[in-house]
Amino acid sequence: MTTTAPVPATTNSGFRSRRAVRREAQRQADLMATVPLRLYGLRKGTVNFITILCGLFAIFTLAPIVWILINSTKNQANIFESFGFWFSRPFVLWHNFTNLFQDVEGDGVYIEWLGNTALYAVLGGVGCTILSTLAGYGFARFSFRGAKASFFLVISALLVPITAISLPLYLVYAKIGLINSLWGMVLPSLVSPVGVYLMRTFIRGSVPRELLDAARIDGAGEVWIFLRVVVPLIIPGMMTVLLISVVGVWNNFFLPLIIFTKENLYPLTVGIANWANRAVSGGDANVFPLILIGCVVTIVPLIILFVVLQRYWKSGLLFGSLTG
Amino acid sequence: MSGTVTPTAAPRTAGPARRAGPGGLGSYLVRSDAPRQRSHRNFVLRRDRRGVWFVVPFLVVFLLFLVTPLLYAVYQSLYTSKLVGGTSFSGLANYRQTLENGAFWSGFLRVCIFAAIQIPVMLVMSFFFAAMFDLGVARFGKFWRTVFFIPFAVPAVVGRVMWAFLLDPSSGPFTHLIHELGFKGSNFFSSSLMVPTIIVIAIWEWTGYNMMILYTALRAVPREVVEAAVMDGASLSRLVLRVKFPMVRPAMVMLVFLNVIGALQLFTEPLLLGAFQPQAISDAFTPTLYIYNTGIGGGQYDLAAAAAVVLALLVVIISVGSLAFRRGKGERE
Repeated sequence: MTTTAPVPATTNSGFRSRRAVRREAQRQADLMATVPLRLYGLRKGTVNFITILCGLFAIFTLAPIVWILINSTKNQANIFESFGFWFSRPFVLWHNFTNLFQDVEGDGVYIEWLGNTALYAVLGGVGCTILSTLAGYGFARFSFRGAKASFFLVISALLVPITAISLPLYLVYAKIGLINSLWGMVLPSLVSPVGVYLMRTFIRGSVPRELLDAARIDGAGEVWIFLRVVVPLIIPGMMTVLLISVVGVWNNFFLPLIIFTKENLYPLTVGIANWANRAVSGGDANVFPLILIGCVVTIVPLIILFVVLQRYWKSGLLFGSLTG
Repeated sequence: MSGTVTPTAAPRTAGPARRAGPGGLGSYLVRSDAPRQRSHRNFVLRRDRRGVWFVVPFLVVFLLFLVTPLLYAVYQSLYTSKLVGGTSFSGLANYRQTLENGAFWSGFLRVCIFAAIQIPVMLVMSFFFAAMFDLGVARFGKFWRTVFFIPFAVPAVVGRVMWAFLLDPSSGPFTHLIHELGFKGSNFFSSSLMVPTIIVIAIWEWTGYNMMILYTALRAVPREVVEAAVMDGASLSRLVLRVKFPMVRPAMVMLVFLNVIGALQLFTEPLLLGAFQPQAISDAFTPTLYIYNTGIGGGQYDLAAAAAVVLALLVVIISVGSLAFRRGKGERE
């Protein structure tokens, strides 16, 4: 009976939901891992002082975000003239928001950018997670000829600056016609040495060799083992890689900046940078409110993604503390 | 539970695996027929060879979209294209031109200064907060942790736009604030304050992310270690610096590397702030900006490729050099 790992140990807890059970277990684990504060013999003043430091840094962290949320409700004149950290009349949030879909030129290019970004991020992120997981598993649990050398090659790619790759990519694309192509953006996003490294570490920590061998003795094929035994054990790790890679593609600026020349293919980052450049050089009237609301709409999906995946994000990085 | 791993399910899905093994379908027979010892060795060998198929998809994309461009850049950098006369082999001329370009080196020096200030400040802050949250010293630790992490979710471009507005010389609230505080006439985007401004923005963006990684590393330190130190009467600072820090040193080293590599390719900040304040950001403000302006802006792809190769080599030299230095120091200790 060696293959019981995927089954939660708490199935006998009756009507409590799986999530509640998991949360309780997490709380218990946190309690176990933390030494009670009173043992340090801290003075109350120290605790207060450190809390205040945290508060100051939080103000620094939140100031730009609060500022942009407030100012996305203003018209152009008030952005520059009214006090930055409070609302002012007229309150034109909805007006600004609907303007996004009409755009200055009236062709609704912002919504295209949003769609492009989502498409690139989903294709790139999901593909990157799948490839990283497969490769991480291969490197973690098999020792074929050349495994060490190729893993070393992958890790040394961490040292190569992304920007040093992007220009050569552009040159190659120019040769083979991948400029202004969806695949020109997505395929390089699939390569993530960090993802492979994380998955390898994670699989080493959470997929016991004995479990795999037991499945093999039972006659299971390697693909079946991977899908039915390995994947369920490493979902948290996969979610971490998914989060990192989606954020990476969503925020990517240099690569799309140089490989896309058509405005309707831009992701949000390049589009907004373009607007900002145009606005500052003074060409367009009333484009500042559009930039600000555009920024707000860019941030929101990512923050939602963070909230949804946060549980995985935390546990996923805790490689060491996961049972193996 | 072995019921879930039924032998009947195997032949359906074991396609590539079966092909890879020398025995094919016979692999199921070997186990029972051959002597136990040999069978086990075959089993291990066959199993390991199958693993290649898990790595191949990644390696193919890796070679096509990471290694190939690099090699192509090296190839391209050895040629010179002229409007008249076409492309001709020019050896190391592009490299000589890059290496003799003072603007490229002053840009490189600038990112080195940037890295030398930004990375230590940020990592000290990240570690401080991570340690405080880990020990539970600060109140509302979970809330602060989430707040500090938010900038990571903000695209770099959006972050720059926000900061450009906040620090704007004529209307930015922070500019007003600093004028109120007595620094009349100071301008965040002037040539002298440009690098410090970019440092502040980078600290804003990355402190939370680094803190999160250090925090998770700290959580993995066994409770017994901390308990033992507390029982021995270790003070808080001693506990943090002498007990916890050594145990997260590998994570710290990795972060230093990643941050140095990131800092050396500084690009988004100067490009966007340059739009707001063109006179403070030269075409070669950072090496990456130089590559961009030479290649995409100026159309001198060969020269830009040479600069990209030089930048990649500089990063490798710095990383490998510091690794060797660390190792040398480690052996002496």
